[in-house]
Amino acid sequence: MSATLTTAVIGTGAISQEHLDFLSRERVSHIVGVCDLSRASARYAASRFPDARAFTNHHEMLDTLRPDVVHVLTPPQTHAAICRDCLEAGAHVFVEKPVALTYEDFQKLWTTAERYDRRLIEDHNYRFNTPVQTLEQLVAEGQLGEIREVEVRMALALHRGNRYNDPHLPHPSHQLPAGVIHEFLPHLAYLALRFLPRVDRVVAAWRNESGNPAFQYDDLDALVFSSNIHARLRFSCHTQPDCFTVTLRGTEGWAQADLFHPCVQTSWTCKAGPFSPLLNQMLGGAVLLSAGVANLRRKILQETPYEGMHRLLRMTYECLHRGEEPPITFDDMDRTSRLIDSLLDEANRL
Amino acid sequence: MKLLVTGATGFLGRHVVVEALRRGHHVRAMVRPDTSEDALPWRPTAGLTFVRADLRSPRGLREAVRGVDAVLHLAAAKTGDFYTQFRGTVNATENLLNAMAVESNRRLVQVSSFSVYDNEKLRCGSTLTEDSQLIDIYADRDAYAITKLLQDQLAREFAEEHGGLVTILRPGVIYGRGNSWTARLGVQWGHRWIRIGANAPLPLIYVEHCAEAVVLAAEKPASIGQTINLVDDDQPTQRRYMRALAAHAPERPTIIPINWSCMRLLARLAILTNILLFAGRARLPGILIPARLHARCKPLRYDNQRMKSLLAIQPRYDLQTALARCFTTPESVVTPLADGHTVDKEVQDACASPI
Repeated sequence: MSATLTTAVIGTGAISQEHLDFLSRERVSHIVGVCDLSRASARYAASRFPDARAFTNHHEMLDTLRPDVVHVLTPPQTHAAICRDCLEAGAHVFVEKPVALTYEDFQKLWTTAERYDRRLIEDHNYRFNTPVQTLEQLVAEGQLGEIREVEVRMALALHRGNRYNDPHLPHPSHQLPAGVIHEFLPHLAYLALRFLPRVDRVVAAWRNESGNPAFQYDDLDALVFSSNIHARLRFSCHTQPDCFTVTLRGTEGWAQADLFHPCVQTSWTCKAGPFSPLLNQMLGGAVLLSAGVANLRRKILQETPYEGMHRLLRMTYECLHRGEEPPITFDDMDRTSRLIDSLLDEANRL
Repeated sequence: MKLLVTGATGFLGRHVVVEALRRGHHVRAMVRPDTSEDALPWRPTAGLTFVRADLRSPRGLREAVRGVDAVLHLAAAKTGDFYTQFRGTVNATENLLNAMAVESNRRLVQVSSFSVYDNEKLRCGSTLTEDSQLIDIYADRDAYAITKLLQDQLAREFAEEHGGLVTILRPGVIYGRGNSWTARLGVQWGHRWIRIGANAPLPLIYVEHCAEAVVLAAEKPASIGQTINLVDDDQPTQRRYMRALAAHAPERPTIIPINWSCMRLLARLAILTNILLFAGRARLPGILIPARLHARCKPLRYDNQRMKSLLAIQPRYDLQTALARCFTTPESVVTPLADGHTVDKEVQDACASPI
């Protein structure tokens, strides 16, 4: 791939490390600028790239550099305004999730992108992790039969001393419509929607189990109904250990993808008759053992669960180079944004 | 003088507050917004006020620096991942200096660290001074060293761009009550103490001496524009200091010595293995990364001439006395006055017991 595109990055928080690592390693474009409200942060991030300039004002950066692509990595509250500025400045935008805080804001952004003939891409990174792609392949090959149940489960101990529970400096995500869970909600939504043809009805229980006033909610249990399939979206701050799994149950078997400790476990009805359960267990044991070894290697090699983001970015840049539609389409973002709005509509019903 | 102390509730900060009060200064101690008053290490006393602010946010910082004669900047993040430490050290300093620039407050005493020196470039046995080479921002060092280096750069820019009157203090290993172990000795593994090397002098500075140096730096105009290393005269070898610590340990530890040259060879082998088997991508323990091993355990000498000449400080305690103070119950410690000044009883009451 020739490095003809120029790229700028806005926001240098923790997630920027993955974007900058990708951009420095893959050389899919030429990094020309990094912007952050903190001059020290912008300068430090820019110093990794020989020709990158540091800015503290994104308007100034867009006017000065006119980049082809901008990665928007700022807090979610700022996405809509910054993305609009970037699109109006003629840049394709790759934005961290959620692209906007409401479906209405997403629609406005999309309209702007169309008006300026630019691409708007929301980061649906976990869709491109190997375990999820394996699930998609199993479904496509019909190995699980007809899918009837989908469960996306995330457990993160956000109450334990980390940046989401800093009593001195509340994390900006607490100001989002669904509080801190809103940061993770797009992951749950876009992963479930991969296996749901449509959304007929949504019910959700939003709770603050701990009563911690900093948290608007710390627990979500939602059901999404779609013809003969239903999906469960589950987020918990209390169940341990931390996990992120996608489970599909079909008429011929089930499969579970673990995203934090990559592994896909499966179980099928098969021709072994009464020995099927034993065979499934033995195969499952072998899969877990092999995953344990592979994940030890991943740990030693400092690999993160962001492999999907790198894959998505690579595919996105290839599409931008060729002028083709990116791997995250309007339909993907539109459905995700609408499902999140529907879940939020349920927020005050319990 | 009116002094603002950031990181006031930290290990060094609480001593700096005491020392400043003892020397008759008015202290504005910065504490984090949600810190409970019960958790503060001082009782209310004349000359001591508090300001609640978090340096990671610009909010309230202009008010905090307004009207003070000097800012003693001790706050830094020592734990967490790189971005946590970057926020707590680099962004925090940037916010503080921005506030000082707006308020035309120019006097800054910044507490840096020996970790910014590039020990790997020094020969064994040579003397580390203020002029020794610093690490590169992409050096294979830990987040603390890199963020402290960036913090120093910000202070120098503040001097250049805003006419800041800056003193950078680089303490060696600050030890005191509850903080007597140092990674320069090696590794603590339960009751097994793995000592890497034996004869390397340790750049120790007792916390009360360090606190005195910080306050003196604010007082002495000669320190402006200077970088000053802070180490005591008494620089014990690793062997001697570990023996002294072992004598105070509640349970006698098993000391496992590893020769410095062997350890250096081991680190080189670890790096070679990493390159050959994992393309250099494997995460190694810090002690097996040569740059970090050298930063911790390399046998070097340490000079404190600049500290003595510019700050005119005479450390009050020798190592034995200082260690005795570390391991004595706080109530029985009698804090002598640095220069014979009479200390208000209220100040003495406020300071002596909690530290």
